[in-house]
Amino acid sequence: MKKKKMVISQETMDIDFVRKVEALSGTSVRRCFQCGKCSAGCPMATFMEHPPNRVVRLLQLGQWQRILAGRSIWYCASCETCSTRCPNKVHLASIMDALRKLSWDAEGPSKESYVQLANKLFLQNIRTYGRQYEMRLAAVFNVKSGQFLKDLMLGPKLITKGKLKMFHKKNRNMNEIEKIFARIEEMRKKGEAL
Amino acid sequence: MPTKNSLDYAYYPGCSLHASAGEYDLSTRKLFKALGIGLTEVPDWFCCGATPAHNVDELLSLSLCAKNLELAEQVEGDLAVACAACFSRLKFTQHTLEENSTKRKQVETAIDAPVKLDGKVKHLLEILARDLGLERLAASVKKPLSGLKVACYYGCLLTRPPDVPNLDCIEAPTIMEDVLGAVGAETVAWSHRMECCGANFTLSRPGVVIQLTNAILESAKAAGADCVMVGCPLCHGNLDIRQKEIEGVYKTTYNMPVFYLTQLVGLAAGLSADQLGLDALIVNPLPLLKEKHLL
Ligand code: SF4
Ligand code: SF4
Repeated sequence: MKKKKMVISQETMDIDFVRKVEALSGTSVRRCFQCGKCSAGCPMATFMEHPPNRVVRLLQLGQWQRILAGRSIWYCASCETCSTRCPNKVHLASIMDALRKLSWDAEGPSKESYVQLANKLFLQNIRTYGRQYEMRLAAVFNVKSGQFLKDLMLGPKLITKGKLKMFHKKNRNMNEIEKIFARIEEMRKKGEAL
Repeated sequence: MPTKNSLDYAYYPGCSLHASAGEYDLSTRKLFKALGIGLTEVPDWFCCGATPAHNVDELLSLSLCAKNLELAEQVEGDLAVACAACFSRLKFTQHTLEENSTKRKQVETAIDAPVKLDGKVKHLLEILARDLGLERLAASVKKPLSGLKVACYYGCLLTRPPDVPNLDCIEAPTIMEDVLGAVGAETVAWSHRMECCGANFTLSRPGVVIQLTNAILESAKAAGADCVMVGCPLCHGNLDIRQKEIEGVYKTTYNMPVFYLTQLVGLAAGLSADQLGLDALIVNPLPLLKEKHLL
């Protein structure tokens, strides 16, 4: 992809979006002075086209489309190293959470669908079973992502070691769990939560 | 720090301990019993949402955790948590709801109850090092782990984010080394003790995980460690279950057993290989333990 020149003007700066990120993450992007400590310690920076400090800079400039169009946010491992080392208490890991949430809601133009798929299946499992069952999660992931062969060598050994549970009992709080999901959806519909 | 006399806890094992990390659950129960620490499992606890929930939906993550904290109130005692990811999420929830009244109100609507934040959430390490205390732990040792060189792997979530778990110093923790020191093991100084293993990409991006975990194993080996110790089932899965695959990709051999903290401390407390579920580990630890006369 050829790099598009960035034009900073009132038309291209979307500050409303940035406010949403700040509200969701509980942190202000204005505190950042671009020291780069976050990116220096980030284990995933090499996989990202915009390393963490640049993600914050792009937010300061209201250029969020550039972030969501790439895969950086989906390659963040949520290790919290950036938040730990920032001298200005920018909670960058929470900013990453907020950006993923907003991208997820917009069914964003992200290039990273595997991570999204894995997250989605994980949440569906909670809603349906209350707990995670890695075997089911892996099996469904492989089918949906079309990666049938992946991790095949791991499977049988794990079963003989008793590591993959095939069966499970029903959680008695299933009703409560469903209500939590439903109430959150309701709040969002009414505009009471982001 | 004063140690506690009544050692009874509510126990939140988390999903992994009921599946791929069964040996962590088993060794925790056996060890705590041997040490006279009571554990009562929270009835019908459910998934805390782990990283995938807060990754895309913080409100859901906070609500799932808040509800689990409420369930934990049914059982007397502080809440003992084995998994570093559950521990981090539960503590993060308490911290966030304490500080942010908007989020607190939203969560209260989601769970349709007032949130309770006064219960203490503790990782197993804290219970061993502080509530039981290093002295009592040392006194319980039947078979000191002398001669065993261990690389203590903290990973991301035991100490981070800042101000949240308050388990130990955020950049230079020593709680694992303290616990192992009390049971007679030697610990090595190494560079990758707090680097991320990429747990959230286990399913979606195994290539990333292999790259990150290789660096961790390489660093442990370079420091002269015989084995690695962890306090998290996700770190364990990546370092132990994937080790053969990593060796294949990087054309190297580590043959580095990866133990749960409760397995090593349990060994020192005189528990057997069966009681500690050592046969469930993928990298076979028996040759090493025999060589060191620990089995
Ligand atoms: S560490 Fe903090 S101040 Fe420095 S670049 Fe990163 S976010 Fe900005
Ligand atoms: S939380 Fe994400 S952005 Fe921050 S250091 Fe870790 S991987 Fe990098």
